Amino acid sequence: MSSDSDHAIEKGRIDLVPMIDCIMLLLLFFMLTTKFTSEEKSISSILPTNKGNSPPAKPTQVVEPPQTIQVVITPAGLPMMHTEREYQIWYDHNVAVGQGIIPTAELRMGGNPTTITLENRTLSQRDNPNLEGEVENIHAFIHAALKRYEIPGKPRKEQSEIVVSCFSALSWRYALIAYDAARSYEAKQGGLIDAMDPNSLTNARAVSFAPPRVRNESVKEMGAELFELHRLK
Amino acid sequence: MRRPRHLLASTDDGHLDLVPLIDCVFLILLFFMLVGRISVEQRHEQITVPPTRSGQVPPPLGANWIRVVVNVFGSTAAGNIPRNAIAWNSDQPWISSGQNEQDFVGYQKLRDKLDLVYDRSRTFDDPNGAKAPGGGVLQLPSVIVEVRADADTEYRVVQDIQMLLVDSVNPRPDQSGASMQPKVPQKPFVNLEFTTRKPGDR
Repeated sequence: MSSDSDHAIEKGRIDLVPMIDCIMLLLLFFMLTTKFTSEEKSISSILPTNKGNSPPAKPTQVVEPPQTIQVVITPAGLPMMHTEREYQIWYDHNVAVGQGIIPTAELRMGGNPTTITLENRTLSQRDNPNLEGEVENIHAFIHAALKRYEIPGKPRKEQSEIVVSCFSALSWRYALIAYDAARSYEAKQGGLIDAMDPNSLTNARAVSFAPPRVRNESVKEMGAELFELHRLK
Repeated sequence: MRRPRHLLASTDDGHLDLVPLIDCVFLILLFFMLVGRISVEQRHEQITVPPTRSGQVPPPLGANWIRVVVNVFGSTAAGNIPRNAIAWNSDQPWISSGQNEQDFVGYQKLRDKLDLVYDRSRTFDDPNGAKAPGGGVLQLPSVIVEVRADADTEYRVVQDIQMLLVDSVNPRPDQSGASMQPKVPQKPFVNLEFTTRKPGDR
């Protein structure tokens, strides 16, 4: 018994059916596994190892207390209160831990009372045409402040450390945008960090996230953290 | 209009001409191969990373370097993986909100994974010359940890992960109940990447 494909070969035609089967399978594979999202980016960072609990090197000279520039991010519209307890009451009434997203934050630089408002809604919408402008505004605000604190003539390593102090219950986006702004300011000044080059930290200005202010992580101490952050210079 | 001869010839004897079909299928295949990217399982789709201006496509890894991804979720929508849950590469996420001392299971599991990676990786002397708690210069692994946190993750979770990475706290409470003491031997990871996207990217 001869099949269609045998007939085709006898007539001098190539049987294309197996090839089409393969192509269709390949097509199906690519259609199901491919994504058309844009590629994610990243910001390199190197955590310092000489500021933790390891024994410090013996000082050979008198060391001045380090000067830091604080980038403070707190929930917006929160008035200055007198006690930690008052802040705690505000927190308990307004934020359900782990669930509630605080809608607006404000950012200030050091002891300067001028703030910029960070809208969670604006910064979270992927297709928001104003998103780029919002991020640009935050950068401009931080860059202007850092320029004021610049110590002329000092190498990058010896400029005051920049510390991002963000309230623990706020969204990560605020802290990362502020960190990015500080890093991009440094990049403009020539201080680049390569995550795979451990030596790149030795010449760069320190830009870091502040460690948790509430060490035992209890939500009952969020009031204490807000109290501290509002008084941070 | 007259039809091409080869088409007439093929349809006359009952055979369909498959050439145009194959042309189209090849073009579609080529399109998907060139334009699409195969999804990487290390990256959960439920995570929307924050927008930044200076984020860059990560450079290729150097020789002997490896990259691990720590996914941190941020959605508060019902049915999604809960906010602040942590997942190692493509593993099942550890639901750990970190709201109290008893809820640190995710951090403990993450540290266990990090210890395993540290033990298997190549290490080098800390360029800062920091001393290890047990003596000698602190050894750093040739590993890049990519912290891929959702924009709505609570900031403190990312803070805690950084502290875990540098091994300055021990998430496993000891007999006295203390958990915020440094672990010995210290196995720090200091080379990080924070995942981000450009503001206009989808």
